[in-house]
Amino acid sequence: MRRFKDHLFLVYLVASTIFVVLPLFHILFCVFANGLPVLMKGGMNFLTGVLPAPGDGLGGIGPAIVGTLVLTVLATLMGLPIAVLTGIFSAEYPNSLIGRATRTLLLIMMEFPTILVGLFVMNILVIPLGSYSALAGALALAIVMMPYVAVYTEQALKDVPSRYREGAFALGLRRRTVVKILMSMARKGVVTGILIGIAKVAGETAPLLFTAGGSYTVYFQGINRPIGAVPLLIYQLVQQPYQNYHEIAWGASLVLMLIFLAIFLPIRLSLKEVKL
Amino acid sequence: MKKVLILLLALGLILAGCSQQKPVQTPPSKQTPTPKQTQKQTQIVIHGSGATFPLPQIMKWIHDFEATHPNIKVEYVGKGSGGGQNDFKEGLVDFACSDPPVNEKMWKEFEKRGQPLQFPMILGAVVVAFNVPGVDHLKLDGKTIADIFMGKIEYWDDPAIASQNPGVKLPHKKIIVIHRADSSGTTKIFTTYLCLVSEEFKEKVGSGKLVNWPVDKMGRGLAGKGNPGVVAILKQTPYSIAYTELAYALKEHLHVVAIKNKAGYYVMPNTTTIKAAFEQVKAFVPPPDEGYKENVAQFLNAPGKDSYPLVAFSHALVWKHYRDPNVAKAVKTFWSWVLTEGQKESHIVQGYVPLPKSVAEIGLKAVEQIS
Repeated sequence: MRRFKDHLFLVYLVASTIFVVLPLFHILFCVFANGLPVLMKGGMNFLTGVLPAPGDGLGGIGPAIVGTLVLTVLATLMGLPIAVLTGIFSAEYPNSLIGRATRTLLLIMMEFPTILVGLFVMNILVIPLGSYSALAGALALAIVMMPYVAVYTEQALKDVPSRYREGAFALGLRRRTVVKILMSMARKGVVTGILIGIAKVAGETAPLLFTAGGSYTVYFQGINRPIGAVPLLIYQLVQQPYQNYHEIAWGASLVLMLIFLAIFLPIRLSLKEVKL
Repeated sequence: MKKVLILLLALGLILAGCSQQKPVQTPPSKQTPTPKQTQKQTQIVIHGSGATFPLPQIMKWIHDFEATHPNIKVEYVGKGSGGGQNDFKEGLVDFACSDPPVNEKMWKEFEKRGQPLQFPMILGAVVVAFNVPGVDHLKLDGKTIADIFMGKIEYWDDPAIASQNPGVKLPHKKIIVIHRADSSGTTKIFTTYLCLVSEEFKEKVGSGKLVNWPVDKMGRGLAGKGNPGVVAILKQTPYSIAYTELAYALKEHLHVVAIKNKAGYYVMPNTTTIKAAFEQVKAFVPPPDEGYKENVAQFLNAPGKDSYPLVAFSHALVWKHYRDPNVAKAVKTFWSWVLTEGQKESHIVQGYVPLPKSVAEIGLKAVEQIS
C-alpha cells in the first residue's frame, strides 16, 4: 500500500510537470507551424522588406526587426550598469535602511504593470519632446529591465557561500576587492539575470504602446524619431481583418521567438559553472 | 574578472555619455529636424495616427503615393479615432484621421496649439447584415430595424418583417441581435440613425458610441469586440442580425439588408447609393477651420430616391501651420494627392467610396492653406 502511494505520487508529479511545460511546447509548435510557411513564402524579403498595403502580399518586417534590436541595445545600455550596481549594493549592505528599501522597491518594480511604465515615460519624455521616439521606448524598456537584473545580481551574490567572503575579509582585503572576487564567482547568476532582462524587454509590447510610436514602412530615422518593434507590430496587425496581415503577424511571431531564443540559448549554454 | 570590469566601465561610460547627451538633446530636438532635413534633402518622413476603419484605404494611398513620390515617406499607425485625436492634440503626429468629427471641447484644445483643419477624406457606410439560412435578400425599413434591435420583434416571421418581404420564406426562429461591445463610431452612427427613424428608440435607448441594448436583458443579445468580433459572431450564429461597416461586409461576403430610405425606396449599400446620399447632404460639411460644427445626424437618412440612409465618412486632421516648412510641404503634397489622384477608382479599396468632386474640393481648399 505504501509503495502504491509512493508510485501514485510519482505519477502525479510527472503528470503535473508535463502539464506545466506543455503550454510552452504548444506555443513553440503553433508559432512554428503557422510562422514557418510565411517565412518560407516571404523569403529574405520578409526580413528586409517593409509593410505592404492590406491584401497586397507579404512584404516584410525589416523596420520592426531593426527597431527591436535598436530598442533592446539602447535599453540595455541605459539600464544595465545601474541595475548591476544596485544589485551589488543591496547584496553588500543587506541590513542598512537603504539596502532593505532598495530590495523591497525592486520587488515591487518587478511586478509593476508595464503599461504604466509606458504612460510614465510618455509624460516625462514623449510629450516634452513632441514626438514618439526610440529614446522614449528604450527608457521604458530600461525601467522594465532594471529590477530583473538587479534582483538576479543580488541573489547571485548572496548565493556565494559566506565562508569565501569571511575568508577574504580575514586576509585583510578591502571591500571593493572582495566584491570583485565575489562577482566573478557569481558570474553565472548575474549573466542569467542580464539575459533574462534583455530577453524580456525584447518581447515587451505594453511599455512601447505610448512611447515608441511605431514605424513599419521606414527604417530607423534617428534616436528622437518614432521606431517600430516586432511585438508592437504583431499587436497592431492582429487587430486588422486582413488575411495577409494575419500571415505577417504569424511570421513576425516566429521571428520574435527566434530573436528571443538567439539571445537566451547560446550564452546560457556556453556559460560554465564556477567551481567552488 | 578584468573583462567584466572593463565591460562595466565601458557601459558606464556610454551611459554617462547618454545621460549627458539627454539634457543637451532635449531643447534642440525641436529644432534639429530642420538642419537634418536640409542636409538630407532627399527624403522626408511624415507621421500620422488615428482611426482603424479607413486604415486599409490609407495604407493603399500611402503605397500608391510613395510609388510616384519617392522623396516623401508617410507612416500611419491605426490606434482608433480617440488615440489619433489625442496624438494630434499633443503634437506627436503631423496629421490624424478620425471617424467621428472632432467635438467642440477637443477642437478648443487643438486651437491652443494652432489652427486645425478637418475635412472628409473617404466615404463608407454602416450596413445591417444578417445570417438566416435560406434567406438571401431582405428588405427592412428603419422602424422595423429599430424594433428588432430593441427586441420588440422577436421572431423572423413577424408580420412587420414578412409584410415587407413578400415571397421570402421566413423561418419561425428567434432573432439574435449582435452589437458592438466596445465604444465605437459605428455604433454612434447606427444608433443616431435609429433615433431619427424611431421615436421609441430615441426614448428607450438613445444614441452614442456605447449604449444599453434592451435585447441583452431578454437574453437574445450578443456582443462582439470591434467589427471583426461582430462579424465572427454573426457568421457562427444562425438567425442573427448585426450592424457593421460596408468594407467588412463585402470582405466577408455577408448578406446585407436593403434599407428603406426617406423617399420610400429600398436601397442596397453600394458606390452609387452612397454617393447619391452624400450628394444630398454635402452642404452640411462645415468649413475645414470650423470642423467641430459638424453634426452626424444631418448626414443620415438623406432624401433622394437612390440615397442609402446610413452613410459614414472619415475625416483627416491637419494643421494650418507647421513649424517645419519641409513637413508642411510634405503634408500638403500628400493630402492634395489623396483628394485628387487618390479618389480615382484605381486607388480605392473595395468597400470604400470616393468623395464626390465638390466635397473633395472642400478638403483641397483647406490643404492649400497649409504653410
